[in-house]
Amino acid sequence: MTQPARHAAMLSISNSGPNTMAGEKQQSTQHMHTQSQPSQGLRVPSNRKTIYDRHLNRSRSAELSRASFAFLFAEMVTYAQRRVTGIQDLERRLNEQGYPLGLRLLDLLYYRTMSSSTSSSLSSSSTSASPPNRPLRILPLLHLIHGPLWRLLFNRPADALEHSVSPETPNEYMITDNDPLVNTYISVPKEMSMLNCAAFVAGIIEGVCDGCGFEAKVTAHNQPTEMWPGRTIFLLRFGESVMEREKVLERAGVK
Amino acid sequence: MSYYFTILSPTDVPLFNIAFGTSKSGGDGIARFRFPDTAQYMNQFIIHSSLDVVEEAQWMNGNMYLKHIDTYPPASAYISAFLTPSGARFLLLHQPPQLPSNSAGAGGSMSGSLLLGSGGSSSRASASSVAANPTSPQTEEAVRQFMTEVYENYVKTVMSPFYRQGMEIKSSVFRGRVTAAGRKWL
Amino acid sequence: MSSATKASRIGEELWKTRVDKVNAELVTLTYGTIVAQLCQDYDGNYHEVNKQLEKMGYNIGMRLIEDFLAKSNVGRCANFRETADMISKVGFRIFLNIAPTVTNWTSDNNQFSLIFDENPLADFVELPDDGRAQDELWFSNILCGVLRGALEMVQMQIEAHFVSDVLRGDDTTEMRVSLVRYIEDEMPPDEE
Repeated sequence: MTQPARHAAMLSISNSGPNTMAGEKQQSTQHMHTQSQPSQGLRVPSNRKTIYDRHLNRSRSAELSRASFAFLFAEMVTYAQRRVTGIQDLERRLNEQGYPLGLRLLDLLYYRTMSSSTSSSLSSSSTSASPPNRPLRILPLLHLIHGPLWRLLFNRPADALEHSVSPETPNEYMITDNDPLVNTYISVPKEMSMLNCAAFVAGIIEGVCDGCGFEAKVTAHNQPTEMWPGRTIFLLRFGESVMEREKVLERAGVK
Repeated sequence: MSYYFTILSPTDVPLFNIAFGTSKSGGDGIARFRFPDTAQYMNQFIIHSSLDVVEEAQWMNGNMYLKHIDTYPPASAYISAFLTPSGARFLLLHQPPQLPSNSAGAGGSMSGSLLLGSGGSSSRASASSVAANPTSPQTEEAVRQFMTEVYENYVKTVMSPFYRQGMEIKSSVFRGRVTAAGRKWL
Repeated sequence: MSSATKASRIGEELWKTRVDKVNAELVTLTYGTIVAQLCQDYDGNYHEVNKQLEKMGYNIGMRLIEDFLAKSNVGRCANFRETADMISKVGFRIFLNIAPTVTNWTSDNNQFSLIFDENPLADFVELPDDGRAQDELWFSNILCGVLRGALEMVQMQIEAHFVSDVLRGDDTTEMRVSLVRYIEDEMPPDEE
C-alpha cells in the first residue's frame, strides 16, 4: 500500500531545485518549525491599514509624471555607477536591480488577469477558460513579455519579436523596443557610449523568464537606426536545460 | 476535515505553513490530525513526497490550480496544488476525520490498516459537505477559491520592495488572511 | 481667490495639459528598488540610507526646479506661505499627482507641515520586520532632499524632515519644512 515510485520520466525536465536532497528538505522543514514562534510584528496605524488592505488594482491605471521616472532612474544609474568598475559591471548591476521586479510583475500580471472579468489573452496558449495559463513553452513566454509585460510597464507592446536565424544559436530570441522609455531622458557620457541603461529592463525580463522556470540570460544592446536613435534589442539566451525541455514538451504535444 | 497548508519557494524552502480544521458543517476550525503527536512532521513529509508529482504536472498543464494531485493512503491524506507563475507552490493537505468505525469517509478503506494509535482524536461526526469527499468537484472548487484568495494576499506580500524571493512570510496579517480564507471556503 | 485655490487650479491645469505621463507603478516600483538596494548596500544602516536618499533627492531637486519653472511659468512667491502652496498644489501635483495638505504653521510663518494622505512612492510597501526599520528608516526621505535642492535653486535655504509615516505605524505621514533663510542673490548656492 505504499505510494508508487515517483522519480519517473519527467523528472529531468523539472525546473527548480529538483535535485534537492531529501536531507536538505528535512533540514528546511525543521528550520521552519523553530521559526514559527509568533514574532512581535510590525506596528500598524490605528486604522489598521496594511498592504493587505490595499486593492492590487488600485493603481492599475494611475499615472505619474514621466519626468519623475526619469529623475529617479537617472539617480539609480548614477548611484550604481559609483559602485562599479566599468560598463559591464554597471550593466550587470542594473540587470540585478531589475530582476526582482520581473518576479513581482509576473505575479501581479497573473493576479490582474485572474481578477479581471474580461479575461484577456495573457498567454497565447490559454484557451477560453478564464484563469490564465502559465507559459510552458518559450513562445507563449515571449508573447507574455512582448505584450502584457510591456503594456504593464510602458503602456504599449514591444515593437518586434524575433528568433535567431543562425542554426548555431537556436536558443536566442530578440525583443526590440524602438524607443525605450529608460533611454529617453538618460544622456550617457561619451566615454560610456556603449552603456545601455535598458540593462535594467533586461533584468526585469530575466526575472520573468526565471520566475516562469525558463533559465535565461538577457542583455540589452544599442541598435540605432536613423529613425530610432535609441532603438534597443533585448537578447534572450535560454539555457540548455530549457532547450532540452522544449524538445521533450514538443514531443509530448504540450503547447 | 483537517488541513495543513504550506507555501514552498521554487527551491522547496518552506515560506509559510499553517494547520487548521474545517469550519463547515459546524466545524470549529481546529485541526485534528490522526496522529496528533507526529502530525507536524508527518504533514511536512507527505507534502514533500508529493513534490515530484507537482513538478511533473507543472510542465504538462499550464493551469495555476492543479487540483488534487496526490494521495498518501497510509494517512488518508490528499494533496492539492496551486502554482504561482513565479514558481512558488501552494500545497494543501487535507485529511478527512477518522471515523470511529469503518464507514463512509473516502479514505476509510485505504487507511484501514493504519487505524491504530490515534486514540479518540475524532469524536466529531463526519461532515457531509466539502469535508466528506476530498476529490469531489465541490471540494475542488472550494480549494480553488481558497488558493485564489491566498494568492491575492501572496501577491501583496511579494510586491513589497523589501520582500526577496525565498523569504519566510512572517506577517501576522498574512496569517490572519489565510486563516480567514480557510474559514470561508474550507 | 486665495493663493491656495489659485495654486490648486494651476496645478490641476498643468497636470492635465503639460505633463508627459508614465504608468505610476513603474515609478513606484523603481523607487522601491532604489530604497531596497540602499538598505542592502548599507547593510541595514538605516540612518545612512536616509542620508543617501536625501542626497539623491537634493540632486533631483536642483534639476527638477528648471522643469518646474519651465512648465508652470509662475513668478516669485511673495512669502513663504505662498511658497508652501506652490510646493504642495503645483510641485507635488506635477511630479507625483498628489497635493499634500499644508498645515501646522508656526506663528512666525517660517515652518509648516505637509500631510500626505496619499504617497505613490510608498504604494505596495511594507518595511522590513527587523525591529529597527520602523524606528529608523524614512522610506520617502528622497522627498525632503528634492524640496531642499529645488528651493535652494530659487534662493531659499530650507530644512525638511519627516516626523511620522504610516509605514512606521503612525496615523499620518507628515513632513516638517522650515525656512532657514533667503539666500542673497549674489551668493552661489551652498556646496553640499
